Amino acid sequence: MHRIKVIFRVTVFLIAGLFLHYVLPQHDVVQISQAEPRRTDFGSFNRWFYAQADGGSVEMANRDIFYIFAEKKKTMLLGFVPRDAMETMVYRNEDTGWIWPPYFKFDSSNLHGQATVQARKSDTVEGGNWAVVTHYGWRIPFLSIFPNAVSLKPVDGPDVRIIPWFNIFFFVFLIVGIAFIRAMWNQFRERTVDPILDSAEHRYDEASAEIAEQKGRVSRWFGTWRKKS
Amino acid sequence: MGFIRLVLFGFLALSVVYLSISIYSRSVRREKLENAWAEENLGSTDMAARDVYVAEGIKAYNASFRPKLIGLVYIIPTIIVIAIVFVTNTN
Repeated sequence: MHRIKVIFRVTVFLIAGLFLHYVLPQHDVVQISQAEPRRTDFGSFNRWFYAQADGGSVEMANRDIFYIFAEKKKTMLLGFVPRDAMETMVYRNEDTGWIWPPYFKFDSSNLHGQATVQARKSDTVEGGNWAVVTHYGWRIPFLSIFPNAVSLKPVDGPDVRIIPWFNIFFFVFLIVGIAFIRAMWNQFRERTVDPILDSAEHRYDEASAEIAEQKGRVSRWFGTWRKKS
Repeated sequence: MGFIRLVLFGFLALSVVYLSISIYSRSVRREKLENAWAEENLGSTDMAARDVYVAEGIKAYNASFRPKLIGLVYIIPTIIVIAIVFVTNTN
């Protein structure tokens, strides 16, 4: 029983962690090489990992999506430890609209324009062509799933210090929220559930006492039939 | 369309939060009142007087400013959404 509990908890924790890792914003230090739109036909599974049509447009079976091609600085430990190596990364650039995840992004065309300008910059020019891309999502090549770029900021060089303010506030809020829900649940149990259980238990005790008494009477009556020794 | 859905479901979700917080807050207040009464009247078993004291305390609580602060449950997320829309869509 204890082992099942542990397995259950680990599973829940893992799913919640993966979910947050997918949805929360992350920052990549990149050099953008190209930004282009491409017609995308969704499969039944990877459809989940794309957003819907742009804010004011109609939803069709397939559509053109902006993609941003970049060389990204590799990192370790969820982006906290930078490494001296580059890898190729492709972002999609879609409106998230009003729904999910709640980035409320409507400016995918503007971002495409920014990415195009950034791609035209040369790395020999002053300041170089480095940028920080904020994104959410995963790159899974064999399912054709791309992270969604949310914003792009040109920076002076590859060694920028990024402080994930949003994630810090998010986790503080999450911990406070969980503590609050626990306090609420404890109060509810103490003030509402326990009194009901107590009175139910009391009634049960009374009922079983009555049954015992009746049983006593019946067995005494049986006793009068037994052979007296 | 998406905006209407967000407003509708957001309102429903926040209403659930609002109701649970107001029930919780009132329950904590009631418990405090009961404890205060028990401290003032040590060993007393006059439950009718206790009920009157608690009912009056709850009435005063309902009329006070504190329960109205729970309305922030609606206001703060709205401000956060507006802020995110602004930050995301300006470069």
